[in-house]
Order: sequence, then structure tokens, then C-alpha cells
Amino acid sequence: MENILEVTNLCKKYDNFELKNITFNLPKGMIMGFIGENGAGKTTTIKAILNIIKSYSGEIKILGLNNREYEKKIKEDIAVVLDDMFFPEILTPNDINNIMKSIYKNWDSKMFFKYLQKFSLLPNEQIKTFSKGMRKKLEIITALSHHPKLLILDEPTSGLDPIARDEILEIFQSILEKDECSILLSSHITTDLEHIADYITFINHGEILLSKTTNELLEKYGIAKCTEAEFKKIAKNDYLKYKKTKYEYEVLVPNKKDFKEKYGIAIIDKITLDDLMVLMIKGEK
Amino acid sequence: MIGFIKKDFAMIKSNFKLLGILTIIYLIMGLIGTMDLSFILPLISITIMISTFSYDNYNKWDAYVISLPNGRKNSVKAKYITTILMTLITSIAGMIVSFIISYYNTNTVNLEQIILSMLSAIFSTFLVLTFMYPMIYKFGIEKSRIGMLLFFFGFAIIGSIVAKANSSIVADLSLFFQKWQIVILTILPIFLLFLSYRISLKLELKKEF
Repeated sequence: MENILEVTNLCKKYDNFELKNITFNLPKGMIMGFIGENGAGKTTTIKAILNIIKSYSGEIKILGLNNREYEKKIKEDIAVVLDDMFFPEILTPNDINNIMKSIYKNWDSKMFFKYLQKFSLLPNEQIKTFSKGMRKKLEIITALSHHPKLLILDEPTSGLDPIARDEILEIFQSILEKDECSILLSSHITTDLEHIADYITFINHGEILLSKTTNELLEKYGIAKCTEAEFKKIAKNDYLKYKKTKYEYEVLVPNKKDFKEKYGIAIIDKITLDDLMVLMIKGEK
Repeated sequence: MIGFIKKDFAMIKSNFKLLGILTIIYLIMGLIGTMDLSFILPLISITIMISTFSYDNYNKWDAYVISLPNGRKNSVKAKYITTILMTLITSIAGMIVSFIISYYNTNTVNLEQIILSMLSAIFSTFLVLTFMYPMIYKFGIEKSRIGMLLFFFGFAIIGSIVAKANSSIVADLSLFFQKWQIVILTILPIFLLFLSYRISLKLELKKEF
């Protein structure tokens, strides 16, 4: 499958933080959830992809092109929604349309106004009169209205109520159906990703811990509940992390079926992305 | 780049009403014989243009710009072009006011005097912004305001010291200015503005977010 985004051995060092050999690929037409706790390196990775930060090593290819050499060409075909970064709030959606049609060759005013109407955003109202959810919708509509091939979103649903979140997720799904667009979506709200992401990439302390399909993660991975005696029989290679609770051991296993057959442990719960994050970050090995 | 110029004009469009009112006030003041203050109009461009940086800064526009095609370069270029256009618009308004006042009060128009007066106002506007813009791109809008106050304060102190210490220097400067006033008022601000643009662009391209 053709990759729309390829990040290979990305490294960037700050005084108190570093990205270490970040490597992952986003196939065309797919949504990738980019998860990790605060300060894990999600935004820094996104900034490197966008060439916002300098002096990093490794290679980033977007649409098969190096992001440094072909920055201008690439930026015609990508769209970005970054946390709290947008047009000055004294502007109106009408102004945005007027501005963007001179910036993007493929700007689609018809689509922009269609989405404004769909989400009840008034074209002549200043952005400052919009609620947080309305602003976020406007940011996303603006990002989508030049038919990008890759959409990069940093925490697009954070701070929104469930209704607004649901509407925003609906937008993503609808554009994936219509356009051949791929999405890299960084979020803390992992339940949203379970519903829409095809791939999950998990970053922690500047390192990629895993990058897999959501189905593989949610279907194959599991949490085995066992006693201390049962836990002591488990080979270290057969689990990823474990957590000792008051009454039992919770063991994160990469293949529920194989684990059950090998150790005969009856209770292996389905995993959620939240469970996965907590156990991978807080669990022991 | 046109999109970025449109954005800056969209932000300052609300100021045009105020500019219109001020133009009328200055015109009335001139007509009733108080004084001709139309040279202030180009200087108002300074406040208006600097306010656009405040709006940009509040919504982290500079960071958003980077996601747009050729965003950094075009946004800096657009800021300078909008400044030139804005100064020209206010200068033309000022010249029209001066023209009407002069004709109404004396039945004659000293066009040379009007042009020189406006060129001086444009020169002052460009001079301030020439220093101000690179400072904003380097230190941000808040620190730059303090920096600019210190700059003017220092400039005023040095000026007064020089004037007191040796009045012949002031006389020489005055003569020099009279001799070269057209060059100083036309070519120098364009050169300074271009230099300022190159510095601002370099600073913006170096910035990390």
C-alpha cells in the first residue's frame, strides 16, 4: 500500500527532551491516531513533519517528497489544525474564504460555504463570537476546503463537549468517504480514535512504543487477570507490561489467543486504548 | 502573497471608519482656521499596523502561517506591502485635506509645501516601522513596545545633548537636510524599509515554534 507520510529515524534533541528514532508510516486513505501522554513528543513530531522546527535528523516524506526540499509543493496538498493556532479572531468566515482563495490554488469556496451552513456557522460573524466548538469546526472546515491529501490534526477535539466531538469526527469520516484524504490525528481522547482510526501510533518519552492497526491492537491485545502464582509462571517474552493491583496481576499481552492456549488463564479482558496507554506507561516489566 | 495582504487589510478595515472621522475632523479644524493637522494621518498608520501584530500574536497566527504554502515569506512580505499601501492611502487623504484647507483659506495651493509635508510624515512613519518590525519579529510585540519607547527616549536624550553641546552641529544638520531633503525623504525610507524587510524575513525564517 502506498504511504502518504513516511517518518524515518526522526531525532531532535532539546535540553530536557529528545525524539529518538521516530519511525512510522501512514498509508494513503487511512486515519492514524497518534497517542501518548502530555510531553511525550506528539506535537514536536508534528512540528518536524511540518518543518516548523529546525535542525532535526532523519527523513520525512510527504506524498513521496522530502518535506524540506519540497516544502512549498507539499503545503499545497496538506492541511493542518494545530491547537489554538488560527486566524486572528476579529476576522469572519467570509474574510477567511476571501484570503484562502488567494493562498491555495485548489481552494473550494463552494465547499467552504456548504460546510459553514451544515454546521450553522454564520459567514459574517467575527470568530471571537464563536464558541470553542464552533471555532474548532471552522478551523477544520478551513483545513478541508482546499481538498488536502493529508490532514494533520493536533488535539482537534480537546476541550469540546461530546456533541461537538461527535460532529467533528463525523466530518472526518465524511471527507474520507468523498476525498482520497489521509489523516494523522493526535489526541488524548482515545475513545474517539477507537471509533475512527485505522492505525494507532503510540509515543512515549520521545520514542515510538508501537505502531499497528487499530483492529490488531483491539482484537489481539488483551489484559490477563491472574494470581501471583500464575504470573510467576509467565515468561517475560510473552507479555509487554504488568501491573500489580490489590488482589491480582494485570498483564498486558500482545496475543490473547496464544496466551490463553499457552497458560490457560481464563480471564483475558479486551483492551481499550486507555488501558494500553496506562499499562505501557505505568506498568512494569 | 495577495491572500496575506487581504488578511491584514481585513483586520484593519474597522480602522477605516476612524480614519474617515479623523480626516473630517482635521479638515474642519483646518477650515475654521485652527491648524492643519493632516500630516498626522500617515503617522496613524504606525498604530494601525502595529495593532495587526497584536491580533496575530493573540491567535498564534505566526505559527499557523507556517502550515500555509510559502507562508512565512509571504506573511512578512505582505506586512511590509500593507504598510506601504496603508501609508500611501493615509498620505493621499492627508494631501487632499491640506489641499482643500490651503485653497479655502488662501485661495492658492502651495503644492510643493503640501508634498514636502506629506513626504516628511511618510518618512517618519517608515523610519519608526523600519526599526519596529524587526524588533517585533525578534522579540514579539510586547517587548518591542518597551524597546521602541527606550529607543525614542534614548534618541531624544542624545538629540538634546548634541543640540546643547554644539549648536553648530544642529545648524550643519539643518543645512544638510535642506540640501538633500528630496533624497532623504524619498530614497532613504525605501532603502531602510527594504533593509528592514530583509532583516525581518531572516528573523522569521529562523524562528522555531
